[in-house]
Amino acid sequence: MNRISRRQFLYCSAAFLSTTVSGQSFFPFSGTPCEAALSEDIRGKVFKGDAPKTLWKWSHEGFLYKKLEKNKVVCGICPNRCVLAPGDRSVCRSKVNFDGTLYSLTYGNPCSVNTDPIEKKPLFHFMPRTKAFSLATTGCNFRCLNCQNYEISQAKPHDVWNYELFPPDVVKEAQRADADSIAYTYSEPITFFEYMIDTCRLAREKNIRNVIVSNAYINRKPLLELCKVLDGASLNLKSMSDDIYRQLNGGRLQPVLQTFKTLHEQGIHFEMINLVVPGYTDDDQMVKQMCAWILENLGPNYPLHFLRFFPRYKLDRLPPTPVSTLTRFRKLAMQEGIHYVYVGNVPNHEGTHTYCHNCNKLLIERMGYFIPQYNLNGNKCKYCDTIIPGVWNKA
Amino acid sequence: MVIATGISSVVTQLLTIRELLTQFQGNEMVIALILFNWLILGGIGTLLARVITHRLWKATPARLYWLSLSLSGFAALQILAIRNLRDVFFIHGSSVGFYPTWLYTFFTVTPYCLLLGFVLPYSLFVLRNESCDYPGARIYITDNIGDVSGGALFSFVLVYLVTPLQAIFLAHIPLLITSYLLYPASRRHRPPVVLALALVTAVLVSGMFVEKPSLAPAEGRLVYYRETRYGRISVHQDQEQFTLFEDGVPVFSNQNVSIAEETIHYPLAQLEKIRHVLLVSAEGGVMEELQKYSLQSVDYVELDPEVTAVQFKFKMIKEIKGLNVIHQDGRAYLASSKKHYDAIIVNLPEPETFQINRFYTDRFFELAKAHLTRDGVLSFSMQGFENYLAEPQRQKLSSLYNTVSAYFKHVMLLPGQKVFFLCRNRPITTDIPAALAGKGISSRYISGFYYGNLTPERIQRLNQRMDSSTPLNLDNSPYLMRVMFSQWFAKYQTSPLGFIIAMVALIVVYLVRISREEFVLFSTGCMTMGSEILVIFAFQIFFGYIYLQIGIIITVFLAGLLPGAWFGNRLRRQGKQVLAITDGLLIALLAILIIALDKGSDRLPVLFFLSFGFIVSLACGFQFPVALYLRGSDAGAATRTFSADLIGAACGTLLTSVALIPYFGIIWAAIGLIALKLISLAVIGSHRA
Repeated sequence: MNRISRRQFLYCSAAFLSTTVSGQSFFPFSGTPCEAALSEDIRGKVFKGDAPKTLWKWSHEGFLYKKLEKNKVVCGICPNRCVLAPGDRSVCRSKVNFDGTLYSLTYGNPCSVNTDPIEKKPLFHFMPRTKAFSLATTGCNFRCLNCQNYEISQAKPHDVWNYELFPPDVVKEAQRADADSIAYTYSEPITFFEYMIDTCRLAREKNIRNVIVSNAYINRKPLLELCKVLDGASLNLKSMSDDIYRQLNGGRLQPVLQTFKTLHEQGIHFEMINLVVPGYTDDDQMVKQMCAWILENLGPNYPLHFLRFFPRYKLDRLPPTPVSTLTRFRKLAMQEGIHYVYVGNVPNHEGTHTYCHNCNKLLIERMGYFIPQYNLNGNKCKYCDTIIPGVWNKA
Repeated sequence: MVIATGISSVVTQLLTIRELLTQFQGNEMVIALILFNWLILGGIGTLLARVITHRLWKATPARLYWLSLSLSGFAALQILAIRNLRDVFFIHGSSVGFYPTWLYTFFTVTPYCLLLGFVLPYSLFVLRNESCDYPGARIYITDNIGDVSGGALFSFVLVYLVTPLQAIFLAHIPLLITSYLLYPASRRHRPPVVLALALVTAVLVSGMFVEKPSLAPAEGRLVYYRETRYGRISVHQDQEQFTLFEDGVPVFSNQNVSIAEETIHYPLAQLEKIRHVLLVSAEGGVMEELQKYSLQSVDYVELDPEVTAVQFKFKMIKEIKGLNVIHQDGRAYLASSKKHYDAIIVNLPEPETFQINRFYTDRFFELAKAHLTRDGVLSFSMQGFENYLAEPQRQKLSSLYNTVSAYFKHVMLLPGQKVFFLCRNRPITTDIPAALAGKGISSRYISGFYYGNLTPERIQRLNQRMDSSTPLNLDNSPYLMRVMFSQWFAKYQTSPLGFIIAMVALIVVYLVRISREEFVLFSTGCMTMGSEILVIFAFQIFFGYIYLQIGIIITVFLAGLLPGAWFGNRLRRQGKQVLAITDGLLIALLAILIIALDKGSDRLPVLFFLSFGFIVSLACGFQFPVALYLRGSDAGAATRTFSADLIGAACGTLLTSVALIPYFGIIWAAIGLIALKLISLAVIGSHRA
């Protein structure tokens, strides 16, 4: 091959520069900016050698894990299936391999404890007007760029200020707060599975209900175990695109869909949450695709919430979702056949009320967390006696 | 041509900084990082000039022409690359932490900065080929003329009139012309020469036409775009929603009811009678909420007139009875106003820059208190937290709590998506819905959500977690800046330690290898940039952010270099003695600055700051030709002295902005710079011995 001369090089460079400038309006090369970096995958990685030197008071052997050769273990709770060598910490930051045994470090040490209205989860078809004793430990198996609770979800148990509340204490505190349910929420309860399931079992004995607010990223086996003591769930269905799951959340879509199928099969009430992120999930086609999947696999009765996005955490250079997008999505989902579709993070929107899917009359009027009108008799519409799906207060 | 290079490079530098600030977090660390990259790369380019020219590439006017053409083309491409490559390397809509910011800013400016650093000594080598005893100091002087002209041209003319790529085009016209004229006349009309000139001109011209398309958002459409003195303002429309972006960050939209209600009703619910309200900046929808009260006047202070124009144009805020819009720095307005208010509501972003931090300090709270009626209330907010108060956030809130508590008997923090501080000398109610109901005021968000989100336990827990031992946020020692840095690093789970260690190691290696004269210039460059940052910081504290005056201060910090270098060139034969005298002068000047800031504070005249800047730059300019003379004035010495000045300036920027001022306060920052100059003095002295 002939070597190019310096002069030829200069010509080529100049031509390249000018072409680049005039072609820049087509940047970044092709597609939308959201697609430009689609190859990006923000899924978390195991923290090698990051485990504390010794266990602490709130360590508890993992619920479901396998021992491998060379003292390694593989955690079986979530689809990340972290393989941990001795001294390693899991993706969720809550579990460690200590001498060939998997330990959870978040058993009985929640970092956030509050009493919230159940509507705040959001759970609109679950014991309205009741209180949920809510708690969280640190940790999450996702890396959502818009996380509202990143100070705890992306933190290690040792790095935060903790309460000490072992399962019996949680139940006592819930009773003291006059809460009808305990909500495992804020961060990701799947990462404190051991603590959660033991608390759920005790709560069930005391007639306190259990609800989770989760990303639904859990394996079938632990989920089936949880279903034995679970009463309701508010679960994120962030997108119908695996690419977006990997890019914005650091997870995968299929395991999430499997969780919905399992809960449906087990007869657990759940509500689906879809945060509408401008430029990513504000797509009519995606909503149609989502509705089609829901109708085919779960039926029309599980409530679906479209939430307004606000710039948060690392995803802070996007505008909020226009209210009309949420209104349109609600209408679209109802047209597709979903019976109960709500709009969230928009005060006093019509889409926060519950209407009977049969007679279309107003069943529950919501003003924020207040319910000025409640027109159900037990689980039935007061006007037409249609059974409304959900877990309701007794008549 | 050297003057033309100076003009174009300073304009490009200022535009590049603005462009990078719209792409990344506009905190003081990022600003310093960008300047650091710019100066250090310039220094490396200068060092490379000697190596490449000496061994590979003889300096000729024709080659200088090609270099200058490339420089012109790179300027426009650099701006476009900064804008458009962001979404290729990072996830669209996301912000990134320290290391990605550093790498992106470093690599996008590398071609231009290396070439720019290369061109200045290369010009000297070309001149020396013509006249072998051409003094290096003259190039330095000439470059300074260009720098001062470029700075003034941008700050006082271009920024008001044209967009960034138009400014790039205009600023490069002199360089294109002069470099073409520099080409040997006999070969000037050859097709490659003319074609290359035409191509680069085409690049610059076509850049102007793609200005707006390159700014188009992925979501919705760009309906408004202006470059103002203070930054970039754009409005994106997505269906019925208009969102105002300032420097690439969504500030507010016309649909954010909850924030507007919280901002207005939390403070005003506290008051029995409300007549006069002062808003320092505003959120979308606040006027509708203010209208629910019978107010006599609402004074709305906004620094940038373009911001209010946009807000009214797109109905993000609306005209209400008694509204009086004041385009001034909020703090300067309060200092000059005699009016008393029932409520002062501050709606500013987090204290990420020295400029914004001034609204969260001891003196500002004192000023606010002095302008409140006896029962009046001051309100401001910080980024909120939903369910857990992380440690950096606790320190930030505690520092604010401790600082403002010195001026108000009652301070209450209300948690939520934002943490609101309510400060007054009368008791504060936390039952806002009840207070609003008592006044007959309706709300959409507060009435429905307040009791669920702001339970008494949450309010009590937040207020109880305030740490009384957290340092105060003072004008002279901005503790919050430190916390903001920590919070920024915590958010991205990174630490600057690796960067600091690497930089310190590199600087140590560099310092060990340079001569005494170069060290003097290194320390002077460091001290001059450090002093400039100190003076701008102090000026803003005392007088507010006044664009023109700050522009003049920056200009005088350049303007003194020119006469200084001229005098230095004449007196260069005095050698080390005058270097030592000017070092002494710089130390004395810093000592005067310390005393003046400590004793004079806001009584200092503007002339003081201008004179200080001028004399510092005069001394700095003076030292350059002397040091160059002492080093021997050969080509190698020239490149090394040029780069010592630039690398020193880079270190001064980073050191003063992100370490000395936030961690030690302005007085100790000045003392630190004195210490550096004392070392320089000792180095000169040891040489003599």
